[in-house]
Amino acid sequence: MQQLVSVTLSALLAAGLYATMAYGLAVIYGVMRIINLAHAGFMMLGAYVTFTLFSRFSLDPFIGLVVVGPLFFFFGVVLYRAVGKSMARSGATPSIESLLLLFGVWLVLQNLAYVIWTGDTQSILTSYTMKSIEIFGVHVGVPSVFVFLASAASLIFLNVLLKRTYLGKAIRAVTQNRDAALLSGVDADRISATAFGLGTAFAGIAGGMLSTLMAFTPDFGRSFLLKAFCIIVLGGMESVTGVALGALVLAVLENVLGAYTPVPTSLQDAVSFALLFVALVAFPQGLPALFARFERKAIR
Amino acid sequence: MPADAVISVRGISKRFGGLLALAFIDFDVMPGDIFGIIGPNGAGKTTLFSCLVGAVEPTSGEIRFRGERIEGLPNHAVVKRGVVRTHQIVRPFREMTVMENVAVAAHFGAGRRRGADAARRVRDVLGRTGLAAEAHALAGTLTIGQLKRLEIARALATEPQVICLDEVMGGLNPAEIVGAMSLIRSIRDSGVTVLMIEHHVHAVVGLSNRILVLNFGQKIAEGPPQAVLKDPAVITAYLGDN
Amino acid sequence: MKAFKASLWAASAIFVLAAPRFLDRGTLNDLWNLAFAVILASAWNLLGGFAGQVSLGYSVFLGIGAYTTVLLSLRGVDPFLTLPLGAILAAAFSFVIGLPAFRLRGPYFTIATIGVAEAVRVCASSVSFTGGSSGLRMPAGSFDFNLNYFSMVVLAILVVALAAYIKRSAFGRALAAIKQDIDAAEALGVNSTRFKLAAHALSAAVVALAGSLYAINFQYIAPGSVFDFRLSLSIVLMPILGGVGTVIGPVLGAIIFSTLQIKLLSIPALRDSFLFIYGGLLILVMLYEPHGLVGVGRRLAALAASAFGTNRRIPDAG
Repeated sequence: MQQLVSVTLSALLAAGLYATMAYGLAVIYGVMRIINLAHAGFMMLGAYVTFTLFSRFSLDPFIGLVVVGPLFFFFGVVLYRAVGKSMARSGATPSIESLLLLFGVWLVLQNLAYVIWTGDTQSILTSYTMKSIEIFGVHVGVPSVFVFLASAASLIFLNVLLKRTYLGKAIRAVTQNRDAALLSGVDADRISATAFGLGTAFAGIAGGMLSTLMAFTPDFGRSFLLKAFCIIVLGGMESVTGVALGALVLAVLENVLGAYTPVPTSLQDAVSFALLFVALVAFPQGLPALFARFERKAIR
Repeated sequence: MPADAVISVRGISKRFGGLLALAFIDFDVMPGDIFGIIGPNGAGKTTLFSCLVGAVEPTSGEIRFRGERIEGLPNHAVVKRGVVRTHQIVRPFREMTVMENVAVAAHFGAGRRRGADAARRVRDVLGRTGLAAEAHALAGTLTIGQLKRLEIARALATEPQVICLDEVMGGLNPAEIVGAMSLIRSIRDSGVTVLMIEHHVHAVVGLSNRILVLNFGQKIAEGPPQAVLKDPAVITAYLGDN
Repeated sequence: MKAFKASLWAASAIFVLAAPRFLDRGTLNDLWNLAFAVILASAWNLLGGFAGQVSLGYSVFLGIGAYTTVLLSLRGVDPFLTLPLGAILAAAFSFVIGLPAFRLRGPYFTIATIGVAEAVRVCASSVSFTGGSSGLRMPAGSFDFNLNYFSMVVLAILVVALAAYIKRSAFGRALAAIKQDIDAAEALGVNSTRFKLAAHALSAAVVALAGSLYAINFQYIAPGSVFDFRLSLSIVLMPILGGVGTVIGPVLGAIIFSTLQIKLLSIPALRDSFLFIYGGLLILVMLYEPHGLVGVGRRLAALAASAFGTNRRIPDAG
């Protein structure tokens, strides 16, 4: 029983972070039909910027996120203005050229981090890094709780943004039915720039949060990128609630495998990468489409 | 169903999400037919062709080609058996020459030709479709009329027994339409059964010996051209209720 | 023009084959590296360039070849006899990945290959028979540089010749059709899955051969070296730089890439700028000339043709 509570709790806490990390990828995909490999680079950069704010200006990493978010939004818009034009295609499936282009951006970001922060492993040690609190009789690290709260806060913020503002509504419209939205006169360029900014901001925030949980190097981010892919593939590449669902599925699976099976921790990443492969092949339209198919079968 | 039909379709339907694009269609095509398929936009004509060649899998029903069931087979397997289609919106391999475009069909269609044998077939088809002069031009540089002929040329190069032509006259000028009509007749005369979707009612009536009319996925009429055009249901579908 | 091209190819082949007679060991090492790069780039190009299926997971096949050779050599098998087995295993594995993954299109396929490559890398570092993170050493006394040199160079020549042959064959036309419009290809009778699997298996086998020769030459391998993501990256970068889908593109890319690597390593200030340069090149190519150097060449030729008023066709780089 104790273990079940513990597994459920840690899965839930991880799911918050995973959703933040995956949402950044999903919003860019939804609006521009681009698979943003630079996402990994921005997560890594988010970790380093949070680290610098912490070590140079003694800014608490979670307060630092308030700086990281807008800063990375700006980075995203700048990147879109620099290379976005060549990526704006109308096709239904993303182009391999844009994928490779953003792959190049990722490499450049990695090298940038090497130059600024060297290749040494860095980590953030706050007064609460080693502390834990008790929830339902289970000990949970304080940083994981903070990460969950921060994720929840950013996702709620995002939801309000998408539901209440004009740009947010436009982003949702373009994501759900691109052609119809573009025909009805939304400014594709501005929407795309905003989406790119939002996606990058979420990458930075996710990276900042990750930096409070684990050590990082400029190479950091690739495994989380793959997890984020796994999530948006599971959740369907377009829907926001789907992303949360996918994050939960991945987090539960990882924690259950870790707790109840003899799969060693060193192989846990391999499990999620393999899951990515299986998910891509088995449900190309994601879990929501799968559910929809079952519903239709049941009706027929 | 008639034993000598080339194509027999029974109860074919196709559902896309909530939309029933084709609803339980039956028809037979006899050898040597030019079988016209008409209907307003969105009637399900192209979906019907897609089902016939296996580009999409029908939700229900069966399709027989010379008695063999072919529904559910992949597109390439249907082509190898001798049923091929052209695309309404042309889909050339733009970075290949016209000759190479047609060669792909000669290599991998029902004829499965290689080397000099394939090259002969390609030359022959390019001659018949009036593309010989463009053989070495990149497909991306052709005019729309030429691209429509390239669609037909590639389909012919697969050496089909049944060819499904999807609006091959769309976007052509009157002179080109006359040329296309005589090309279609010559295809039929060479022993290939023709199914054609066409918006030019005049051209369909002039060419076809039987016509199938679809509206909102339903079959509303079938028969010889003149009889079909007098059918009240067809007139309503095209002109509205009043 | 055709005869000129053919004789240029032949002269290069003769030059690298005769090189051990007049070049020093250091230069031969560079040529060995170049041949290795040419093999990887040309092999990847069979699937990624000809058929347009961009895989970022080719380190897996290199690793399979290298590990087959080292593990069998440690059990007393002659290293060169292990080559065919490594190739067969890699082709078989390519089939296992490809059969499900080729249902995916474009970038989705690419993502799936990253997933596979990372899963394999993580597994390889945590199981014991690969030597874990400390790696494995070849048994002593099996080193003959000239033999290594010739095997790599001959393989490189064969692979380029194979690519040139495939490009002109019906198989090559099927791959090109798949790349340009997979549905239209299917509609003309091309069994796209079969041809993608064939191209994947062929290129996987070739990369595994190169991996075996790599292990024989360096006498030491570790999951971190042969399953490295950066290796997969450079395999992709070379053909893209040179020009995907052509025969000469990957060769040009490999030449530039291995020259860059040698030059960069010799300049301390630039040693840490690998990724800047690779990433920057990738961005430049994608932004300005997706056909790489071959595309630049075609543009220059077209420019020259129009400047001199001749009516020559743009030469197809074959």
